[in-house]
Amino acid sequence: MKDSFIESLESRGLTRRAFLAFCGSIAAAIGIEGVTGIDVAEAIEENALIGTNGGRGEGKLAPVVWMELGSCTGCTESFAQADDPDPATLILEYIALNYSETLSAAAGYSLEESREQTIKAFPGKYVLVVEGAVMTRWNGDALRIAGEATCAPGESPLLDVCKNAAAVIAAGSCAVDGGFCAAEPNPGGACGIQKYMADNGVNTPVVNLPTCPCNPATLVAVIVQYLLLGTLPQLNEYNMPEVYYGETIHDNCQRRGHFENGEFVYEFGSEEEAKGYCLYAMGCKGPQTKANCGTIRWNRRVSWCVDAGAPCIGCASGDPRVTQRNWIDFNAPFLNRMKDIHIGSLRVQPTPVALTITGVLAAALIVHGIGMKAAGRTEGAGGPDWEPVREYDKKHGITHGSAAAATSEPAEKAAAEVSEGGEQ
Amino acid sequence: MAKHSIIDPVDRIEGHLRIEMEVKDGVVSEAWVSGGLFRGLELILEGREPTDAALIAERICGVCPISHCHTSVYAAEEAYGIKHPNGARIVRNLAEGAQFMHSHILWFYQLSALDYVNPLHALEADPKAATEFALANGLGVRDFGAVQKRLQKFAENGQYSWLSGGWFLEGQAPEAYKLPAEVDLIATAHYIEALDMQATADEIAALIGGKMPHIQTSIPGGTSFVPSVEKLDDILDRARQLHEWVGEVMIPDAIAIAKVYLKDVAGIGNNKHGNFMAFGVFDRESRELTDRYFPAGIVRMAGGTGAPVLEKYDGSKMTEETTHAYYADDGKPLHPMDGVTVPPEKFPGYYKDEANEVVNDKYTWSKAPRYLNDATGKREPMEVGPLARVLVSYMSGNPEIIDGVNTVLKGVGLPISAASISALNSALGRLAARPIEAYAVSGYMQDWCHELVEVLKNPGDANPWFAKRVRDDGAGEGFWEAPRGALYHCETIKGNKITHYQAIVPTTWNISPRDVDDVPGTIEQGLIGVPIDNIEAPINALRVVHGYDPCVACAIHIVEPKTGHEFKTHMSPWGGR
Repeated sequence: MKDSFIESLESRGLTRRAFLAFCGSIAAAIGIEGVTGIDVAEAIEENALIGTNGGRGEGKLAPVVWMELGSCTGCTESFAQADDPDPATLILEYIALNYSETLSAAAGYSLEESREQTIKAFPGKYVLVVEGAVMTRWNGDALRIAGEATCAPGESPLLDVCKNAAAVIAAGSCAVDGGFCAAEPNPGGACGIQKYMADNGVNTPVVNLPTCPCNPATLVAVIVQYLLLGTLPQLNEYNMPEVYYGETIHDNCQRRGHFENGEFVYEFGSEEEAKGYCLYAMGCKGPQTKANCGTIRWNRRVSWCVDAGAPCIGCASGDPRVTQRNWIDFNAPFLNRMKDIHIGSLRVQPTPVALTITGVLAAALIVHGIGMKAAGRTEGAGGPDWEPVREYDKKHGITHGSAAAATSEPAEKAAAEVSEGGEQ
Repeated sequence: MAKHSIIDPVDRIEGHLRIEMEVKDGVVSEAWVSGGLFRGLELILEGREPTDAALIAERICGVCPISHCHTSVYAAEEAYGIKHPNGARIVRNLAEGAQFMHSHILWFYQLSALDYVNPLHALEADPKAATEFALANGLGVRDFGAVQKRLQKFAENGQYSWLSGGWFLEGQAPEAYKLPAEVDLIATAHYIEALDMQATADEIAALIGGKMPHIQTSIPGGTSFVPSVEKLDDILDRARQLHEWVGEVMIPDAIAIAKVYLKDVAGIGNNKHGNFMAFGVFDRESRELTDRYFPAGIVRMAGGTGAPVLEKYDGSKMTEETTHAYYADDGKPLHPMDGVTVPPEKFPGYYKDEANEVVNDKYTWSKAPRYLNDATGKREPMEVGPLARVLVSYMSGNPEIIDGVNTVLKGVGLPISAASISALNSALGRLAARPIEAYAVSGYMQDWCHELVEVLKNPGDANPWFAKRVRDDGAGEGFWEAPRGALYHCETIKGNKITHYQAIVPTTWNISPRDVDDVPGTIEQGLIGVPIDNIEAPINALRVVHGYDPCVACAIHIVEPKTGHEFKTHMSPWGGR
């Protein structure tokens, strides 16, 4: 590495050693075989502002436009929780964040101008991050920015910025498929950016990064990979990076061992919770939700939902191709034990799941049944959800269904629900 | 001739907001504030279980999700006929505290500071002089040379990134930026450091709730988080760090900035109605609203400048109406328990017809909440937010807040008097309120960690974290505070399904449109009289608006075109009233 480069690192209080460690962590996050920390280091030196070579147009920073649509701003907030690189480094040394409604210094006309200039100056070269859902109701008047219906069908400021981007990153579940904004009855006509673009004949590549909000580590890894290597991660059928959305929460859960042992939490705040038992019985959607929360964790890796005692509510499970399949309607009621498990487009009862698919989940469900039996919590054969009423529940007055259920609800009713095959 | 000045989008806030002002003789004579997004969250919540509703309602706002979650949970618990146990009370206080710390730090530095601080001017500073200035004025000393080097690299590159189009740049309103280069450098160093501190605060929220934004453990009945000694240690350590940092960096910065801008900020943003309201936040064991760490109450200053008077708060006196909002109900003022959200069939925007006449005078997605004043017999707009909370706490005798207010008054050279308290009804008061609260809250958080250790030691017979519901039918209201002000949710449930849900969020009070009597909302009033030197970059107006930290996805809302447009006839661009 060149001396001037080292010097510029040192001016930021970063040693060469720490820098290489950081590059290693980026390489790991990107997860491409053959890409090492050294490659990342070289790419940074080539391209980023802290380096000495390279160049993009007049400045060296890669332009990024961040569009906020129908959202709660939680994904911008989440972005501010990134580290490695932290947001200050990103906006000072990596990217030119030319338009962000939350972070930009400019306001009003000056801000709009900045976005338009970016489109003009870097057609096909900037990365567009979309936060929030496209709000289509009233011909796009459900969301107006700067005097225009932002998401109008056909030509619109949004379509314009999508069309000219090198790539569109849908950050967070709302941008992927409408998210919570699209939950029944979808009052604002929310949908994801991929569907909006497809409906309007724009085919800029889309990378979908669900979860609510977007996990900053995942988002930053994708941006950095694109900026440094010029590539997008390998995507699955949902246009989600396989490396981050390839395995279920359940696959990598820290409480998995308890699941295998049939050790479950049956009441919040109980001794079992204090011991960190499995939250499956409290409605955890981990077995059907594909995301990397358990490994990448949240907020600079201090925790994640299950670590804190919250069952997974499946905020990553959406389908960008369908408006109405948002994660809320897919998973609610959140605290009800799953009667069905959804794997991709398959929707099956746990027993057939165990029979029809192979691999860890199936094995786990079988082990689970055995574990439950060994723990004396079930009678006869069967796993967690194909028993009409759990022995443990009967003894402790817990009815099937909502984990926080009133004790008065008759167990028979719950059993009847099961035999009717009621939804969730 | 009156000129129109428009800021749209107003950024460095949560969500989509538009401000339009009529400027006469260099000052704002009228203002219209408009929210640009409709999501219809209340409609989404109907038919769902209260626990789901709490976790969905949390998504109303990604900046203050914990507050929404907690307020929804309170409403659900009242409907269920239960109270959350003591352990859960403290856990929730801690999570909410983390939310306040995060939000106040982020607001002060990332969202508000760029109205006062010019990071590029910092390049002209002498780092050594900056260090001396910082030492002499009790500002946090950092390696200012390194920060400046980093900025230098950034500036030399020539792309302004997130500073693009900033109003401190040439051709905008650089003359409105008055800090000496050294203070700009110090503040910029702290701006960068604040990014780390707000993330530290969020780590506390994540330790309790799994992740932040959108924690997952606060649910009707209590919390699903059972603290371990290790986690409490992690939380305590961070709370301490935040407390020290606010004391050493944020409060001195606020004073240093306010001192330089005193004439600008003390004289603008006076809300003319003089009504301040807080529902209170951070429960004590009694769970009484007036007994909260920051208690519920109302402070009135006659005409906006009179001596502050404390009054009791009564939730039954609230109403909302939609005369000037896009909704399709009949516009009658309704208590939220009876309130409705009726989206229009067709978007009723302010379109002009062929004769160039404005079709209607609906201009926002925000409803107009009002509070009945017994003395006048009128439904009046109220200001909510950190300033309202600080005023109510101050008048109620909260010692930490009294200390904080007095420190700031002394720091900027104002006497400690009723008149000075009234002078806080301005951009100055809103600038100072957040650091004052942040210092108090991070102190309380340490106490709560110790209280939780006691609960772990002596949990008692009942589950200290979670209580089961005792009924499936009922109605409940939640009164609480988000960092940006008084927050209210209510719900009615039947068979454990929601049949009615309404929320009044803090920003709705502040960005409220005109009501049925044409009385402007709080920010609309606060903008009147603000001097506008440059209608292309009305920096003073932006300072006033940022003082309220509108959080607009919460409040829902709208927009219109280019700056500097002259209007000739219409009183309101939307209402040929």
